[in-house]
Amino acid sequence: MNRRNFFAGAATAVAATTVSRVSMAALPEPVTQASTATAPPLVPPNGRPYNPVVTLNGWTLPWRMNAGVKEFHLVAEPVVREMAPGFKVNMWGYNGQSPGPTIEVVEGDRVRIFVTNKLPEHTTVHWHGQRLPNGMDGVGGITQPHIPPGKTFVYEFTARRPGTFMYHPHADEMVQMAMGMMGFWVTHPKAEHPLIEKVDRDFCFLLGSFDVEPGSATPKVNTMTDFNIWSFNSRVFPAIDTLNVRKGDRVRIRVGNLTMTNHPIHIHGHEFEVTGTDGGPVPRTARWPEVSVDVAVGQMRQMEFIADEEGDWSLHCHKAHHTMGPMGHDVPTMIGVDHKGVAEKIKKLVPDYMVMGDKGMADMGEMEMPIPDNTLPMMTGTGPFGSAEMGGMFTLLKVRRDQKPGDYRDPGWFKHPAGTVAREVSATGAPAAPRKTGTTPASPDSGSATVRKPSGHGAHNH
Amino acid sequence: MLAGCASLSPDGGTADVQALVDGNPLMAGAAAQRKPDDASQQSVDALLAQPLDAEAAVRIALVNSPRVQDAFATLQLSDADRVQAASLPNPVLSFSRLAQGSEREFERMLTFNVVGLLTLPWQARWAGQRHEAAKLQAAQSVLLLAADTRRAWVRAVAAQQSVSYLRDAKEATEAGAELAHRMAKVGNWSALQRTREQLLLADASAQLARAEQAAVASREQLTRLLGLSGTRTAYTLPDRLPPLPKAAPELGDVQALALRDRLDVRSAQAQNTAVAGSLGLTHATRVINAMELGVVRNTTFENDADRSKSTTRGFELELPIPIFDWGQARSGRAEAQYLQSAARVRDVGVLAASEAREAWQGWNTAYALARRYRDEVLPLRKQVNEEMVLRYNGMLASVWELLGETRASMLAVNAGMEAQRDFWLADTDLQLVLTGSSPGGMTAAQTASAGDAPATGGH
Ligand SMILES: [Cu+2]
Repeated sequence: MNRRNFFAGAATAVAATTVSRVSMAALPEPVTQASTATAPPLVPPNGRPYNPVVTLNGWTLPWRMNAGVKEFHLVAEPVVREMAPGFKVNMWGYNGQSPGPTIEVVEGDRVRIFVTNKLPEHTTVHWHGQRLPNGMDGVGGITQPHIPPGKTFVYEFTARRPGTFMYHPHADEMVQMAMGMMGFWVTHPKAEHPLIEKVDRDFCFLLGSFDVEPGSATPKVNTMTDFNIWSFNSRVFPAIDTLNVRKGDRVRIRVGNLTMTNHPIHIHGHEFEVTGTDGGPVPRTARWPEVSVDVAVGQMRQMEFIADEEGDWSLHCHKAHHTMGPMGHDVPTMIGVDHKGVAEKIKKLVPDYMVMGDKGMADMGEMEMPIPDNTLPMMTGTGPFGSAEMGGMFTLLKVRRDQKPGDYRDPGWFKHPAGTVAREVSATGAPAAPRKTGTTPASPDSGSATVRKPSGHGAHNH
Repeated sequence: MLAGCASLSPDGGTADVQALVDGNPLMAGAAAQRKPDDASQQSVDALLAQPLDAEAAVRIALVNSPRVQDAFATLQLSDADRVQAASLPNPVLSFSRLAQGSEREFERMLTFNVVGLLTLPWQARWAGQRHEAAKLQAAQSVLLLAADTRRAWVRAVAAQQSVSYLRDAKEATEAGAELAHRMAKVGNWSALQRTREQLLLADASAQLARAEQAAVASREQLTRLLGLSGTRTAYTLPDRLPPLPKAAPELGDVQALALRDRLDVRSAQAQNTAVAGSLGLTHATRVINAMELGVVRNTTFENDADRSKSTTRGFELELPIPIFDWGQARSGRAEAQYLQSAARVRDVGVLAASEAREAWQGWNTAYALARRYRDEVLPLRKQVNEEMVLRYNGMLASVWELLGETRASMLAVNAGMEAQRDFWLADTDLQLVLTGSSPGGMTAAQTASAGDAPATGGH
């Protein structure tokens, strides 16, 4: 993140092609962001102090103080979001990115948000979860007129309740959300709150799903269930940044779900408690330990834990298809299908043909075969031990003892202490164990079901 | 005497016919031959030893085809008619023996058709014109044979090519069906899914079988035109049709070209001239169409005691008296034939101009279509295929979709090849229409000659 963009006034200003400069003159200069990197936390330069959050692969919107009111300027506009290197998607977002910048305020702040519409159609902004005057709720046609293209509207209310919120359009909502219009909102407590802990690291991201036809660049807005791009803040693994923390840090992860299905978010190596929802902090008596929390559609969850186990811990949605890139949902299961003779025949007709899927889909992670332009591989990402065979809603929680406070840089791969990595066992090296005599359970192979997945290459002749 | 002034042409008119078709693009330098000889048969064998191109096929047909031999035989008949017409009518010798009691009478008379003698130059000239028309028709037969051979060759090569594409298309479905079978065997697919793939294979097999039959039929058609039999039918054809020409030829006014060069137009004109000549003859002989002049020598034997005989000499003139037949019918018939033949000249002219326009348009359309396939459809089809491979690579599409696309590709290539075939057929049609005859055959010309009874003096 280029901080100069925030404060030097040299920000990449929105070109006033469709928006009159005169009408913009009195407004806060809109700030736009070109980078998809995770911006460092924005330490509040004025107003009430707070501990800022870190938006995964995102940034926080700077504001200006105007007679004690925090003024933000959101610009709704078409953007090109790089969801992964080489995979750019035509989206609609705010201030150069989708999701839009995180808005951070403090409980009790008077907030004024200018919304300029540079979309080809009208829009509104709904402040999901906020207590506010009905006319500020941002529901087009119900509580306000729509914001026509080229116009700027202003919203003003007091951030009454601390917590984790979102903003998104409430006008042609289906299209505008399918196109990526969404953003995070965090209201920090103004004083110590009995139910809100001080944390060392506070991460937030929104869950997003898109349907981008392989080889194309614009999401299909009419898709309802069969999405193929599953993202944290519109980034897909391995292009999602990792959550880098210091061993012993109290970590908060805030997740909001603006997709059309639920996502069980699962963290390895640690138990966490859900300390808050979009409804507010969870009473202590209602908290229980979890390693997964289902974030339902339109919900937010706030997980907290002490990162006391060193290592590279997976953090992902537990729906297996959501940790994949685009895949052909109509591709039949090929496991165990002998291609002998047929493969040669196909190769004669399609010289580039290679047998895939007959042993499973792990081939996909290994074979770097050419796929359509601007298409995410189905699963990719490589770790120190090989292909991760993961994509989509997947990242890593990296816990290191030597990660400096405030340092969010990726520390690289974990160096495992000797003898702490699962390893191959040789026949002689296996530790001796007492053997049961008498009835032995049938081996899987002797049953009626045939185990077809072969143990290695060479089992098939193709 | 006039006898012997006309004689049969030694080569049956072959050289004359060849002169008419020389330089025609359909011939490509080939020469028609009235009767195959050893040398020509050796050249046929030499041509058959290599894959047969269109020019070689024309060359073989023109020496070997029964059709060209038929045409030359017809020409020879016309030649014979011509010589016949130019020969003097033979005098008639009549002899009679009459008996009355003991009296015997011998009458010897040599008569000669004087009108036949007087009209001989007319007849000879008219028969000559008729023979010229026959040469033009023989030349058309030669060109039609060349055109038919080219077309048959194009169809045979295309059909053979088609078989190879459809075989690839079938192989794609075969692979799909085999994989489907194995999918079902290991439990990954239901009978429904497997059966659907088998159905595709059955369909592709049927398509291939039809194509193979079409290939046999079109090859046999060519074989017939080439006049080949026995082991000679095992000739090979090239794998593909010649590429499209770079650009359309500059032809100028195709109608004018057709009206000037087409042999059937020239033939109709020659016929018309001949009929006009015969009309004049009919007019000249409408009243007196026969006059017999005879030399008579009459000897009478009395057979009495002195066995005396007496001989009388004299001449006899036989002249029909035009009381009943003033020749109106013959004259009317000749006039009608002239009008008919003039109408046919116009008809052939209209036909030639119209066919020239149609064939030129047809050529351009076929050319544009074939180029569209070559330059647009097939490259796009290839691109679709490549994209499908990429989708397959990304596990975004199944191997059946890939095979389906491959099959569709083969069918598109086949359609492209058919467009190329249609172009070469249109090209042959255009050549024929501009310089030879009606591509529909010699229907017009043949109608013009049919029923064209000699309008001589009715003798
Ligand atoms: Cu999920």
